[in-house]
Amino acid sequence: MKRLLVALALVLSACSAGGQDGPTTVTFWDNNGGPGRTPIYQELIKRFEAANPDIKIEYVGIPSSSVQQKYDTAIAGGSTPDVGGVTTSYLAHLVGQDALEPADDRIENGALKDKLLPGLLETVRQTAPDGKLYAVPASGNMDIIWYRSDRFEENKIPEPVTWDDLAKAATQLTRPADNQYGFTIRGGAGSVFQLLSEAYSYSGIEKFYDGGKSTVADPRNAELVRKVAELYKKATPEADVSNSYTQMVAQFTGGTVAMMHHNLGSTADVMKALGPERVAAMPLPKGPSGKRTVVPNPTDGFAVFKGSKNRDASWKFVEFLTSAESNGYWNEKVGQIPANTDVRGAEWIQKNPAVKMALGVLEDSATVLVPAPVYLPEYSSITKTDTEPLYQKVLLGQMSAQEFLDQLAAKLTTAQQDWEKRK
Amino acid sequence: MTQTLTRPATVLDPPPAPPRRKKHRDPSRYFRLHLPLVLYLLFTLIPFYWMVVFAFRPAGSTSLVPWPITFEHFDTVWNGVGFGVFFQNSLIIGVGTLVVVTVFALMGGYALARFKFRGQRVFLLALLCTQFIPGAMMLIPLFVIFKSAGLLNSLTGLVIADTAFQLPLALILMSGFVRNVPVELEEAAMVDGCSRLRAFFAVTLPQLKPAIVAVGSFAFIGAWNNFLFALMFASKQDKFTLPVGLSYALGEFNTDFGALAAGGVIAAVPVVLVFAVVQRFLVQGLSAGAVKG
Repeated sequence: MKRLLVALALVLSACSAGGQDGPTTVTFWDNNGGPGRTPIYQELIKRFEAANPDIKIEYVGIPSSSVQQKYDTAIAGGSTPDVGGVTTSYLAHLVGQDALEPADDRIENGALKDKLLPGLLETVRQTAPDGKLYAVPASGNMDIIWYRSDRFEENKIPEPVTWDDLAKAATQLTRPADNQYGFTIRGGAGSVFQLLSEAYSYSGIEKFYDGGKSTVADPRNAELVRKVAELYKKATPEADVSNSYTQMVAQFTGGTVAMMHHNLGSTADVMKALGPERVAAMPLPKGPSGKRTVVPNPTDGFAVFKGSKNRDASWKFVEFLTSAESNGYWNEKVGQIPANTDVRGAEWIQKNPAVKMALGVLEDSATVLVPAPVYLPEYSSITKTDTEPLYQKVLLGQMSAQEFLDQLAAKLTTAQQDWEKRK
Repeated sequence: MTQTLTRPATVLDPPPAPPRRKKHRDPSRYFRLHLPLVLYLLFTLIPFYWMVVFAFRPAGSTSLVPWPITFEHFDTVWNGVGFGVFFQNSLIIGVGTLVVVTVFALMGGYALARFKFRGQRVFLLALLCTQFIPGAMMLIPLFVIFKSAGLLNSLTGLVIADTAFQLPLALILMSGFVRNVPVELEEAAMVDGCSRLRAFFAVTLPQLKPAIVAVGSFAFIGAWNNFLFALMFASKQDKFTLPVGLSYALGEFNTDFGALAAGGVIAAVPVVLVFAVVQRFLVQGLSAGAVKG
């Protein structure tokens, strides 16, 4: 009997040891899965697996609209992936649940040391209350104005530099009888975040908070909101009051509007529909101060989850994805700013005027980054549910710009104070 | 005696002739009835038309008709995004839920309609109350239960989850249908020597055909369209369903309208076919059970 038990134990241990001999599987959740990005990841995974035959990557594409809920459910149920795509817009939320592994030591002692854009690293660090790096940045994004260069040329209008130039050009390019409008306003989902980028670009205010108080209600910001509201229906379609990015991009690519404020994320759609000969990009216009202030867009990156049982293999995969070759390949395909500084001189960047322009702005020493407080747990609800309807009232002339910004600033100040207390 | 055999003369008289119809219908009937219906039909069909146009015309085209026709979007979603696998998963989950819900609803609905038991009203109320709980609220508890039961990443788990959420309404509906079948029919069969079970199969079940179709259709469509459970309880690409695949087309910064429309056509066709086949039973069944019951 004793012999039988020993034999059984040996067989079982041999079985379990045999199970570890196979390749290590790393699960990777893409936070924006879909026909645009999935094939790019599949190619990168193929390259990684060829170079690392002992590691197998299991790709799972998560629809971007539900990714936060998916992560929350997985964290609550203890079934997180090894590696996940994350953006700074919900990174604080994940850090708050103690779900992520800090990357500082891995970066400091690994191949990515001094290889990542400092501005993007800083943006990621700012989202965590302890200032640690919980995600390795992979792509930067920036708000820009896409414009129809062909129509500007036809009408002999130079590229706008200030907001007043833009408003003048928008009015000149508007012909409602021909269903042609100079500009499109995002009045629906996502409107306030976009409006804040415009406001800080115009006002030149360099801090989102001054002494713990939100600077959003500054009269210079209110002036910009008034100027945008003045364009509504005068140089934009009437339906803009309920526009999300989907409608804006459809209007622009469909040829109805001549200028659109969006970001580099729409590069593929815009270029596919209009081509580089008919479209160009410019930074958000400056205001009377002449300063270049930029509210950075959420940064995209990769995080390793604390629940991962294969952390070394997971970090190896993250390092591979952010290496110069992979990072360059990825950002060339999606048209965004590569985080790896070695990609800076790549040929494709010279051929992509929008990315080149955005990189130029970010690397310009005169540019001041004004990060929005995306780390606040309430930031999303304040800028969406609470205040988007108020902005619609401003567009419809039912509320003053100053009153709207006062309410927004009060909510942001309270949220910041609560955050400071909890830190 | 003679008198009892004599029928009143009026009984033998031919029935009075129906009032003569007007040769020409009232022309205003077209404006009152047909025109609004045609307008409503157009209003309903225009989104479907747009979906078809976007699905079959090339990307970037602004044509109002799907010409020149292209299948590139179907190729993208079927082969590139994996709609082939998603379609198969949705079909398995839809049919599985349909079968399980219908069988349980028949048994439970019969019990609710034919037997009196203590706490019956409370039970019915509890069934009704389950309809007020949104799926999202149950997500994390269900996730934990499914994880400990080893049901994550499995189609069986999704059938169970969908069944759990479809069954209460199906039970309520089915009990109404069963109540509508006269109990005397079953009693007559039992007097003739049938057991209760045989009386059910021989007499009641054939009467419930429209009810089975109505309840089954609801269960199938509910499972077919369920996005939340499919995304949350599956973390493997080959276990996702059509609604998850559709939401892939709506990216963070861009929307692939061609892929979205092609995916929409693929997802809508089975539902349209199901309705085309069963709509006769469905109307009959709904009016029999839900309204009269």
